[in-house]
Amino acid sequence: MLRKGLLGALAFVITLVFGMQAMAAGTIKIGVQAPITGKFASEGQSIDKSVRLIAKQWNAKGGVLGKKIEVITCDDEGKAVKAAICARQLVDKGVLAVIGSYTSTCAEAAEAIYYKAGVLQTSDGTSDTLVKHGYWTFFRNSSPNSAEAAFTAEFFIKKQHYKRIATISDYSTFSTDLTNTVIKDIKKLGGNIVYSGKITSGAQNFTPILTKIKSFNPDVIYFGGYYTDGGLIKAQMKQLGMKADFVGGDSNDNPEFIKLAGKAAVGTYLVNVPLPEMLPYDAAKNFLKAYKEAYHETPASIWTLFNVDGLRAILYSIQQTKSTNTKKIADYMHNKLKNYPGITGPLEWAANGERVGSAYMAYRIGDDLKYHIVYKH
Amino acid sequence: MDIFLQQLINGLTIGSIYALVALGYTMVYGVLKLINFAHGDLVAFSAYIGLVVMMQLSGAISSSAVIILLTFIVTMIIIAAAGVTLERIAYRPLRSAPRLSAVVSALGASLVIENGIMLIWGPRPKIFPADIVPSINWNIGGVYIGLLQLLVLVISFTLMFILYFFVNRTKLGTAMRASAIDQDAARLMGINVNKIIMTTFIIGSALGAVGGLFIGMYYRGIYFNMGWIYGLNAFVAAIIGGIGNIPGAMLGGLLLGVFNALISGYLSSSWALALTYVLLIVIMIFRPTGILGERVAEKV
Repeated sequence: MLRKGLLGALAFVITLVFGMQAMAAGTIKIGVQAPITGKFASEGQSIDKSVRLIAKQWNAKGGVLGKKIEVITCDDEGKAVKAAICARQLVDKGVLAVIGSYTSTCAEAAEAIYYKAGVLQTSDGTSDTLVKHGYWTFFRNSSPNSAEAAFTAEFFIKKQHYKRIATISDYSTFSTDLTNTVIKDIKKLGGNIVYSGKITSGAQNFTPILTKIKSFNPDVIYFGGYYTDGGLIKAQMKQLGMKADFVGGDSNDNPEFIKLAGKAAVGTYLVNVPLPEMLPYDAAKNFLKAYKEAYHETPASIWTLFNVDGLRAILYSIQQTKSTNTKKIADYMHNKLKNYPGITGPLEWAANGERVGSAYMAYRIGDDLKYHIVYKH
Repeated sequence: MDIFLQQLINGLTIGSIYALVALGYTMVYGVLKLINFAHGDLVAFSAYIGLVVMMQLSGAISSSAVIILLTFIVTMIIIAAAGVTLERIAYRPLRSAPRLSAVVSALGASLVIENGIMLIWGPRPKIFPADIVPSINWNIGGVYIGLLQLLVLVISFTLMFILYFFVNRTKLGTAMRASAIDQDAARLMGINVNKIIMTTFIIGSALGAVGGLFIGMYYRGIYFNMGWIYGLNAFVAAIIGGIGNIPGAMLGGLLLGVFNALISGYLSSSWALALTYVLLIVIMIFRPTGILGERVAEKV
């Protein structure tokens, strides 16, 4: 115990000394607040590695505003208490902006501290509460929970022009909430819901409800549950000779879906944020290549890339404003930054820190049983 | 009309699977007066064994008809052996103990099998290969029926008729009925009751294995804990038909499937499961011993 404490103190002193030296040299400090250990460790480490990679890339080109970028990482372990401690430490070390955290809980616990200190924060947290305070320092770099439903409704009405829509959910909170929001958003766009029903997850035999839905003659069935049921629903639709399309929510996006549905999977539509390797943008391809070269692995998930986009936007804005005044940078990001080419799609922010547009995409499973993008923002 | 017929076919398909599994409950109850709670998990186990056997065979043999036939035979043999082992280990030592002890032992065996499956194959669902049976679908006047569905119905009904014939027309079947009525008297008549009980477990488990394979092949996804829900439904089916009564288990299974389909088709799919059970409770109120009555054998 004692030894550990001593080591910790030593490490702290070393960071302090090096930190001061760095300040003397005139660097721009970027904080990373992420779960480096704990159950989200792979996500947290991936975020940290990515931020360091971006910093290295910029530094190789002369840094930003002629100063080198210095990355300071604090491990919040995915816990709210630790997140608040990290926030204070990072603020004390004089960071200009913080990337993180991975979880909404930790991002929210640190949000007010960064706001009071005037430190920019960008997080991939999807919880709708993150932007409710409207802190000028906060920038969400992913899409909130409610964005999936809004995107799905848009896909149904504006792209597919469905006239008769049926929905199915299971009894879980996640599925019920998602499906209800989809229904609400579809109605808002003037869509016509002809049937909405529920299934017991794991029941396997869905032919009774599907036969019933068939009698309503819908042109699409939306399913807001999990792939274990979704794959079977799709297979049983085919078996019942149903011609309606099938659109699955994000939890249907799993390789097992195709295994369960077999050949019946062809023609399935799925709505989700894309896998890193599916991103169609050049910035994405370049970044993934660089990441692979540097670390001999791929980023943990799309969430890493959202955070990288947050960082890239901040660095770009610093350069554009030629300033390290966070208020100025935030103003630029809120008002002037439009359609900045991100890894996860065009970047733009609303005044409350919500990312404009969503990274959600609709895929169609083709005859090759692979995903093909059919609709995106 | 076509919707009604479609729901009927939907219900009969799942119902015949329930019926196959229900036979295992009802036969064991008939002879031992014991609810074999591990039977549902044996069914889940059979689906996993069937998948392993099928994957092994599909590497060696190209004809899918031969693969399926062999899978059924091998799986039925393995599960029958598992059923006999279960009887030996979990039930025979407790045969003269109070009946509750045997029930606890059955529940314990159920947990052992369920968690055993999880430890061997993991908690994630396993998936049967697609198109082992060609996915042929017929459209008869707006009513759709698949080849696999047809196979499930035909094989289930054939097996049930063979079983009915076996129990009522053969010497071994007569011995089985005799043991069900009075084990001591049967013993005095020169019947080896232990052998009869073993036979009961062999037949019940083998039929359950067919049910498990149908679940795997028709619904494709199998879960380590699926034995619980299929077992529960089949157990209810056995009670509805009259526990211990073989035609009763068949009728109960089919009724359960058809009720569920019709309720979800005409009343509410969200409430289908709940309403199905309400209907079943109503049946129990008017026919407490099940539709066909408990143990017809006693009336012989």
